[in-house]
This record gives sequence, C-alpha cells and structure tokens, in this order.
Amino acid sequence: MSDQETAKHTKKPRFNKQAPQPSIAPTENMSESKKSIIQQFTLYRDTLDAHYDQRERVIKASRDITALSKKMVFSLLRITQDPPSRVFKEVEDKNTMVLAIFSRLAQDIQGSDAFKYNSNSTHGLQEYIEALGLWVFLRDNMLITKGQVEEMLASSGVKILVTDNDYILGISDLPGEVNRYCINAIGKGDRGAVENSLVFLRALKEGIHLLVSSGRIRDLNKKLEVLESSLEKTERAYYSMSIRESEMKAVNESKGVMAVD
Amino acid sequence: MDIQIFIDLQDRLDQETKLFEQIKDAVKELYKTCRLASANLSKAHSVPQSQTKEVVESAKAQFAEMKQKISELSKLIEPVTFYRYHDMWSNAFQTACSLAIFSIYLSESRLATPKDIEQVLGQKVNVDDSQITEFVITVEEYLHGVISLFGELSRLAVNSVIVNDIKRPQDISTFASELYSGFQLLNLKNDALRRRFDSIKYDIKKIEEVQYDLRVRGLLG
Repeated sequence: MSDQETAKHTKKPRFNKQAPQPSIAPTENMSESKKSIIQQFTLYRDTLDAHYDQRERVIKASRDITALSKKMVFSLLRITQDPPSRVFKEVEDKNTMVLAIFSRLAQDIQGSDAFKYNSNSTHGLQEYIEALGLWVFLRDNMLITKGQVEEMLASSGVKILVTDNDYILGISDLPGEVNRYCINAIGKGDRGAVENSLVFLRALKEGIHLLVSSGRIRDLNKKLEVLESSLEKTERAYYSMSIRESEMKAVNESKGVMAVD
Repeated sequence: MDIQIFIDLQDRLDQETKLFEQIKDAVKELYKTCRLASANLSKAHSVPQSQTKEVVESAKAQFAEMKQKISELSKLIEPVTFYRYHDMWSNAFQTACSLAIFSIYLSESRLATPKDIEQVLGQKVNVDDSQITEFVITVEEYLHGVISLFGELSRLAVNSVIVNDIKRPQDISTFASELYSGFQLLNLKNDALRRRFDSIKYDIKKIEEVQYDLRVRGLLG
C-alpha cells in the first residue's frame, strides 16, 4: 500500500513545479478522523477548482466579446465616410465572430449558472448590447429592444440570458457613441443625421432618468451624467452648425443682392 | 423612441424590489436566531467539557428555529434565479453553518459533514457545486463555517485551562491541525475564503502556545 502511494506521488509531471499540490493522501498511519477530513477536503478542492476554472473561462470570453464589440462600434462609426452597405457588411462579419464566442460562453452559463457568473459575463454582454444598439440606431433609427438582443444571441443557436440590468447598462452606454457619430455627421453637414441623433439622445435621457429614480441599478447614475454631457455636446455642436448655416445664408443672400445690383 | 420600454423596465424593477424586501426581512429574522444560538453556545467556553452537553441542548431550540426560517427564505427563491439574490443571505448562512459546526464539535468532537449540516439546517449542501434545481447551502458557505471553528477552538483551548481542564487543549490541538491539513489541500483564489484561510494559522498558533505553556510548566504529566 505505502509503496503504491509513494510511487503515485513521485510520478508528478515535471512542468508542475511552480504549483505543487499538497499531496497528502489518506494513509494507514493516519487517524480515522484525519482520513475522513482529507477525503472530504479533496472533494472540496476538486469542486472549487472546477468553479474557479469555469469563472476564468467566463471572464476570458467576456473580455474577447468586449474587444470585438468595440471593433464593431468603430466600424459602425465609419458610416459617415464609407458607403453604408460596406459598413454594415463589415459589422455583419464581426457580429458573426462575436456570436461564435457567445456560443462558447453559453456552455458555462446555463441554468442556475447564468446568474452565478453574471457578474463575470455582464461586462462583455453590455458592450455587445451597446454595439448592437448603435447598429440598430444607424440602420433603423430606433432604440434596440431587449427582445432584439435576445433574438440576435439566439441566432447563434445557444440560449444566453440577458438580464434587465445587462440591457439597461448596455443601452445607457450608447450616448457616447451616438455623440461621436453625430460630431462626424456635422463635419459632413448631414443635418438629418444630427436631427435623428438629437431626438434619440433626448428620448434615451428621459427613459434612463425614469430608471435611475428606482434606485436599483448601480452605476446608472454615473451613466446618466455621461449621457447628459453627451447630449449637451451634441446640442452645442448642432447649435454651432445652425449658426454657421444661417451665417452662410445671410452672406450668400447679400452676395445675391449685390449681384443683382 | 418608445418610452414604454422604460416604463415596462421600471415596473419590473419595482416588482423585484418587493422580493428584495422580503428576502431582507427573512435574513434579518435568521440573524436574530443565529445571535441567540451563538449566545447559548458560547457558554461552552465557561464550563468544563463534562457540561458541554447541556450547553448544546440549550441551543437546540434555536437550531430548530433556524431550520424553519431558512425554509421560509428558500420558498421565496426560484432555483434558476438563486444566484441573483444569493449574496443577500450568504453571510447569514455562513454564520448558521459555523454555529451548526461548532455545536456538533462540542457534542461529538468531530467535524460536521455536509450531511450533518443538511440535517441541522434542513437544506442540502451543494458539495459538487453543480447547477442547482433546488435551494441549497453552497460549499463555500460550509467552508466559511468550518474556518470559523478555528476561532472557537483557540478560545476553547485557552478557556479549558481556565476551568482547570488541562487535558483538553491536547485534543483540540490534534483536531485543529488535522482540520488545517484539510484546508491546505485547497487551491484558493484571492477571495474571501482565501483571506480567512490565511488567518487560520494565528488560531493554530494560539492553540500551540497553550500547549507550550502547559508543557513547559510540567503540567501535562
């Protein structure tokens, strides 16, 4: 018995140097109580290891989703320069990649695990909702619904829980991007785009304001502040655009008058 | 944009607030009973080992009450959303586990197993941490409870000398070091469990100091 035991323990893999497992196994000279404690704790160790590994996988997937979602946003923001069809095609491709990560993630967040690892997965999901939200806004001039998010995720063939918190925090990140889009649009003199952004931001502000008052979602207050400053920036930009336009008009008109004279 | 989206969301948040309140109340109730049980069990520190039986008996009623209150709490929770609210009662459950573990140590001088916990508190301990389909006590809560036992053991070692029971620290020391070797098997990450695990060595040290004092004075015969 003891020979077998030692043989088992000397056969440690060589790469395992930095993390030696305390290799106490029940041996015969152990007291009964110690034996049973070691047995139990070996089980707990396996349980905890599995849990930590699962959490690690969720965190990694969430990080990958975040990175790709950011790329989707950048692609979308190029819509003021590139033809929309090309932009949407590019986003479509990136979206397929994100969905592939989601289907990998899904294995680890089924059933009761969905909420268990929500705090580890929510960041990536929020970032993705933000990207989808910008996409839907640019394409349909609408606020993305939670149903649309769920539908998109379901299209990858897996079930992923989207909580109200994920959704709310995701869309409350939209103003920053919409503002960026709007500033670009002003550069191009696209009055319609600016108009749409403004309507969108104002409605979003009212909506989020409603939710802040429930006091239930952490960090929403901060996001509302950011939203308000985005809105203000957009309004100021629109204001200068309008001033410039009327100035130009006045100049052109007076030129026109002079020409007639 | 449809403001209705936000009105619906707000409704759902408000509805959930009700559940939050209910859980909070249930947890507060549980804490109350835990404190009473703790007060009763702590009498074990002031009596010789021969009288611990009565001490354990005196907390029986509270354990029954804890079981009852935990069961009421469990009825509020759907298994699939268990972890959404889990943080709200996890601390209370750690306390409940530690009390059950202490009580079982007092009466039987051994470590309470998850099965024992299930018997005392009425809910299964999710030892393999699988997805759950019923209300459970988590393995972390159980382990937190076990860590709390070290604090009690080190006090017990000191206090048994006070009540002139100089043989007992030896038993406590053996048991504590067996238990510690169990904990050393775990690969803990940087979380609450890890921090508390790190404090175990101070309890062990205290117990050893009692041993040392007794031996150096030749009191152990």
